Amino acid sequence: MSEIVVGYDGSDSKAALEQAIGLAKELGDSVVIVFGYAARGYEGGAMTAQRDAIKEHAEKVTADAAETARAAGVDSEVVLVPEKGAEALSDLAAQRQARMIVVGTHGESTLRGVILGSTTHRLVHIAETPVLIVRP
Amino acid sequence: MESAAVPAETLPTGAGAGEKGLKSNAIGYASNLVIGVASTAPGYSLAATLGFVVAVGGIGFHAPIIMILSFIPMLLIASAYNYLNRADPDAGTSFAWVTRAMGPRLGWLTGWAIVAADVVVMAALAYIAGTYSFLLFDWQSAADSLLAVSIAAGIWIVVMTAICTIGIELSARTQVFLLGAEILTLALFAAVALYKVYFGTQPGAPLNSVYIHADWFNPFTLHGGSTALVEGILLGVFIYWGWDSGVCVNEESENSATGPGKAAIMSTILLVLIYVVVTVAAQSYAGVDFLRSNKNDVLSALGGSVFGSPLDKLLIIAVLTSASASTQTTILPTARTTLSMARWGAMPKALGSIHPRYLTPHVSTILMGAVSLIWTLIIINVSQNVLSDSITGLGFQIAFYYGLTGFACAFYYRRELTRSFKNFFMAGVVPFLGGAMLTYIFVKAFIDNKPVDSAYSGGFLGVGAAVAIGVGLLLFGVVLLVIANIAYPKFFKRKLETAPPGFLERPPGEPATTTVTPE
Repeated sequence: MSEIVVGYDGSDSKAALEQAIGLAKELGDSVVIVFGYAARGYEGGAMTAQRDAIKEHAEKVTADAAETARAAGVDSEVVLVPEKGAEALSDLAAQRQARMIVVGTHGESTLRGVILGSTTHRLVHIAETPVLIVRP
Repeated sequence: MESAAVPAETLPTGAGAGEKGLKSNAIGYASNLVIGVASTAPGYSLAATLGFVVAVGGIGFHAPIIMILSFIPMLLIASAYNYLNRADPDAGTSFAWVTRAMGPRLGWLTGWAIVAADVVVMAALAYIAGTYSFLLFDWQSAADSLLAVSIAAGIWIVVMTAICTIGIELSARTQVFLLGAEILTLALFAAVALYKVYFGTQPGAPLNSVYIHADWFNPFTLHGGSTALVEGILLGVFIYWGWDSGVCVNEESENSATGPGKAAIMSTILLVLIYVVVTVAAQSYAGVDFLRSNKNDVLSALGGSVFGSPLDKLLIIAVLTSASASTQTTILPTARTTLSMARWGAMPKALGSIHPRYLTPHVSTILMGAVSLIWTLIIINVSQNVLSDSITGLGFQIAFYYGLTGFACAFYYRRELTRSFKNFFMAGVVPFLGGAMLTYIFVKAFIDNKPVDSAYSGGFLGVGAAVAIGVGLLLFGVVLLVIANIAYPKFFKRKLETAPPGFLERPPGEPATTTVTPE
């Protein structure tokens, strides 16, 4: 039995979550639901206030995801990491020697992805674990 | 199969987790240096204030010493930031600290002063950004048109607000590049200007050049005496504004055991150097009369003459990138301050919400953008001179909340001061002195700027416009405070806190307070 790491932030990654749960069920794996909650934007004053607010949001969203997994009969674990999404996912997956990482394309338009680089984009380049990308 | 949902944390909650996150992002030395300098936006600060400092009656050629002296209160307050951040890294900086140390009423007013100062500065920022955008394309008639500049300034604020809401951020490398280019351009400007003064082919250079004189650095030969000095420092405080929070809060507590980080020291030296060298070069090249008469856009006015076309565009680009960095370091911290105030239960709850997709404090950010937009359009269109006065007015707000932060530090640690000389000096004397200096500047400048005829734009409500904007907005804050008092009774029942005994003797890293969670 191995673990499948899924990046989940509630917005457009529901398809990724469902895919991960489905695979986990077939393979007899458990899912690790990961939310990277580093605040974006410049560091500096009152940064932590934003980070804490994001963390609360993350707790709420991931609890729902864990519920979805439970309903499907799959073991799950929620991990909140105070890092940006791509780093959070690749570090955790490497650490746990996970079977794979499942992420959504986040509904980011191609243009935005090219100019700014999306989490998914970055993940594909830095992760040592196989990455499965799921379109919403 | 047995199913279980186990919410687990890989890392401890609270500030410890945050620290870990910062560390693993490994903000390097260069990046720290960049953020320290970028949050003060030297190019933009010079463009916005150099002319006004020179124009203060009695300062003239003494602007370089004003640039140096203005830094002293900031340096003193930085120590307060450093110590208070150690006790409570978790919230709206000065708002949280003053609330804890001196009570919710002063704390609330501090938060308001931060917001007010940030809104007021947005007008100046957007005006410069609007004007310089047109100058970049040599579109002088648009730069002179109030309507065109208003539109450009409005677009600027909307775009910047959108960027902050969506949470677009430049990579550290891009930031290092942009700031590097900005500093290089300013250095090049100073070097070319001084070269032309001393070795130029045209004797006396194109303008009224003067050789550098030691008297420029002598505060005792100021013609205007203490009035001019205080007026200059009030403007000077503005140019260094942002340095403290950017540098001190970024300092990772693990390193603070070995004293202030190298990046902090370097960025400080770099900043003072930039301001002094560019000021000296500008007044040596063009003389003070030229700077005075072009005070609204000194750098673009000088650029054409010093660099000639098309190199003068470099200077304009430097000011524009600087202004964009500055807008972001204005909108974001303000939004986070109101976010923090909302989470403390001192402002409407909606301001504390986070966008589910962008993970930014979108309600706070958009509100900040909207208020700034309205303020900017009014201020720009009332008259150009009101804009000038608002920079002086801004000094009052900064002096108010920085001053209170200094006092809050000494007060919060008052029982720790006798434990060691270092505590006594760095957590007590230095912050208190900073607070006292800023109080003096506030009071003295208030007396000097109160008469209607002291302002560029004349009077407003029977006082000088700078006082009306600066102190008037603070008084408006008192009105809002009364309303907040009724709306948020729980927050205003908070008790004063002091540092836990022996806190400063503990190893750094562990905060003294627990995170505030919303009800």
